[in-house]
Amino acid sequence: MDALVAAAIHDAKNGLTALNTWLAEAQRESPSPAITEARAVATRVGAQLVELLALYRAGEGSLRLAIDDHDLAAFCEEMLDELALPLGPGMRIETHLEAAAQIGAWAFDAYQVKLVLLDALRNALRHASSLVSLRIDLTPPEGLRFEISDDGPGYSDDILAGSDTSMDSQSSGLGLRFARLIAQHHATPNGCHGRIELGNRVGAVFALILP
Amino acid sequence: MSHPDLRGKAGLLIDDIPEMRAAVRIQLADLGLEKCDAARNVKEAIERIAANRYDLIVCDYNLGQGADGQQLLELVRRRKTLPMSSAFLMITGETGYEQVSTAAEFSPDDYLIKPFTAEMLGSRIARILDKKAGLKSIYQHLGEKGDSAKAIGACDVLLAEKSRYTLDVLRIKGDLLLESDRRDEALALYQTVLDQRATPWAQVGKARALAALGNPAEAQEYLQRALEAYPNYLAAYDSLAQLLEKSDKSAAQQVVELALKVAPSTRRQRQLGSLALDNQDFGRAEEAFRRAVDKDRTGFFKSHDDYAGLAKSCVAQGKVQEALTAVKDMGTHFVPTPELLARQAAVESLVQTKAGNKEAAKAALQRALTVQSESSLDPSAALEIAGACFASGDEERAKSIIQAVAEDHHENDDVLERAQAVFHAAGRADEGSVFLEATRKRMIKLNNDAVAMARSGDLDKAVAMLQEAADRLVNNAQVSINAALALLMRAQKQGITVAVTEQVYRYIVQAQRANPSHPRLAEVAKFYRKVAPDAPQLEGI
Repeated sequence: MDALVAAAIHDAKNGLTALNTWLAEAQRESPSPAITEARAVATRVGAQLVELLALYRAGEGSLRLAIDDHDLAAFCEEMLDELALPLGPGMRIETHLEAAAQIGAWAFDAYQVKLVLLDALRNALRHASSLVSLRIDLTPPEGLRFEISDDGPGYSDDILAGSDTSMDSQSSGLGLRFARLIAQHHATPNGCHGRIELGNRVGAVFALILP
Repeated sequence: MSHPDLRGKAGLLIDDIPEMRAAVRIQLADLGLEKCDAARNVKEAIERIAANRYDLIVCDYNLGQGADGQQLLELVRRRKTLPMSSAFLMITGETGYEQVSTAAEFSPDDYLIKPFTAEMLGSRIARILDKKAGLKSIYQHLGEKGDSAKAIGACDVLLAEKSRYTLDVLRIKGDLLLESDRRDEALALYQTVLDQRATPWAQVGKARALAALGNPAEAQEYLQRALEAYPNYLAAYDSLAQLLEKSDKSAAQQVVELALKVAPSTRRQRQLGSLALDNQDFGRAEEAFRRAVDKDRTGFFKSHDDYAGLAKSCVAQGKVQEALTAVKDMGTHFVPTPELLARQAAVESLVQTKAGNKEAAKAALQRALTVQSESSLDPSAALEIAGACFASGDEERAKSIIQAVAEDHHENDDVLERAQAVFHAAGRADEGSVFLEATRKRMIKLNNDAVAMARSGDLDKAVAMLQEAADRLVNNAQVSINAALALLMRAQKQGITVAVTEQVYRYIVQAQRANPSHPRLAEVAKFYRKVAPDAPQLEGI
């Protein structure tokens, strides 16, 4: 990617942030479902631009994660607050975060991992019929597992075979590429790396495993 | 989302942009923070922190004038003007968060990436204040008059209670164990954590413990592996550079270069300049020192060292005028203390010698020596004069100054390394190693002889010997402690007088001032209390 393109993406991202601030202001003055939707779109596109920039920096060799301990319960709480998405009628998110309190803290880049998981949650909400679930587990020796599943049609065979996009989908595949990148960049001094796992159960199952 | 109760708390908001200050202030007021001071720049922030006790500081990473919140935090935590019990929240843009979150030795309690809502700010503050409250029993023993042993005890209580902040407690305890030279325990602690999970602080902690236990090669390997996994973790760069400085200064220079790519810092520019100077990479040294003096327009982060280094790297390249300008600038940027005046004159003498201006060099050196004869200088200024003496050909005087500094600080590796650097710069590295090792051994022998003398019953002789040394070497904690111990042993046999009590008290305070974390301070303080139970109380031991 050209440095000019990267700079333009950066500007566009800042523009979206400003737009979102104005939308929040408008929402305070006269709340409306349309503004809520607009904010959700601005947030989603903003996040995509951040993901694109991370891919650019990875290509340049300058993507460096900031790994440090984070309290898992607080991290999940904050992430769900940030999701700030109006759930459609009959749609609900179920959380299984009991393990978070038991594990306490884990070392990871909270900013990037939050982007990955929010993307996966939004994606699940788009495809689910009525239920999305978020679960945390400790899966030794691999590490920490975040799992987001839905009761939608599940991933296509192309995606399960390792492609970032499905032949019949309109998605750019950016989210999955970003998720793989961030997972892979999480490493330990013993040489273990993070990864993502995609599968189908009732619907699609997305998992991010951090060493 | 949880909200903090900020009623009755004192806050400080630091941001150079008025609109941002106003916006965050409103958010903080909405959270109930009524008493909130504001600072527009580093100067105001430092003044306010020195004059007030804040429960919470919210600081923007970018503070203008070449300064950032991380450098400010490092400064106030290092000087201990900001107690650990005060919470520090850093605000950062999306592009700067990785510099903040993995900050080195002194990291903020948390960071928040812009843009954020009042709710997000509230929940972060609630979280850090909860943690501060949870760790309060430890924090009360940290700080200027702290007591590491008590702080470690408080850690153990929290660990036994299975505090929800167990990992934080372990992290603090590891640092305290290392500070107190309890290296085996520190190593075991880090290993226990690493057996459960991989985390950068424990990896770096383990390497530091290994290095302290005399395994630099293994420590180096751990740090290199840490950097592969955590390429942003500044503490790993700092520890690795510190290790390599002893064995391979070129490699150390490369590590500092890499750290500077992760995050800018005046302190690391200085470290880079000094390593490049030692490595005779004068162009790079000049560049680094110039960055240190030019970038920091606040004047709070640069030091005499930066101007001295700039002058030396310039003159080594034949840039005499630039070198003299650096010497002059040194005088205009700092308060004219004896240290500054002596150092400035010594560097000027060095520059003039290298430029071939013998008379000017001699006159400047004379000025430096006059200041030295009138006041007691810190090791940096004294060693600078020694360097100028070497350059001007006065070897005897140079060595006598270095010897005095080395005897006074024989347990301080940092000072001894700087003394060695003076020999190195004079092209006498081998002679320096022998000279300094002999000085160190002489000091050890003095202490051992006196202790042996005391044990064999010749207490008067031991006391006389140690008192003479302790009165001369006021920065040598070990000599002061031994002088106090010998006096106490004699008093135990012969009875204690008010005069002796006063002398012992003075030596213990002298030792504490020289090295507050000396491992034998507690032992001598205990003996003092036993032999002289009615004597004045010692603070902080």
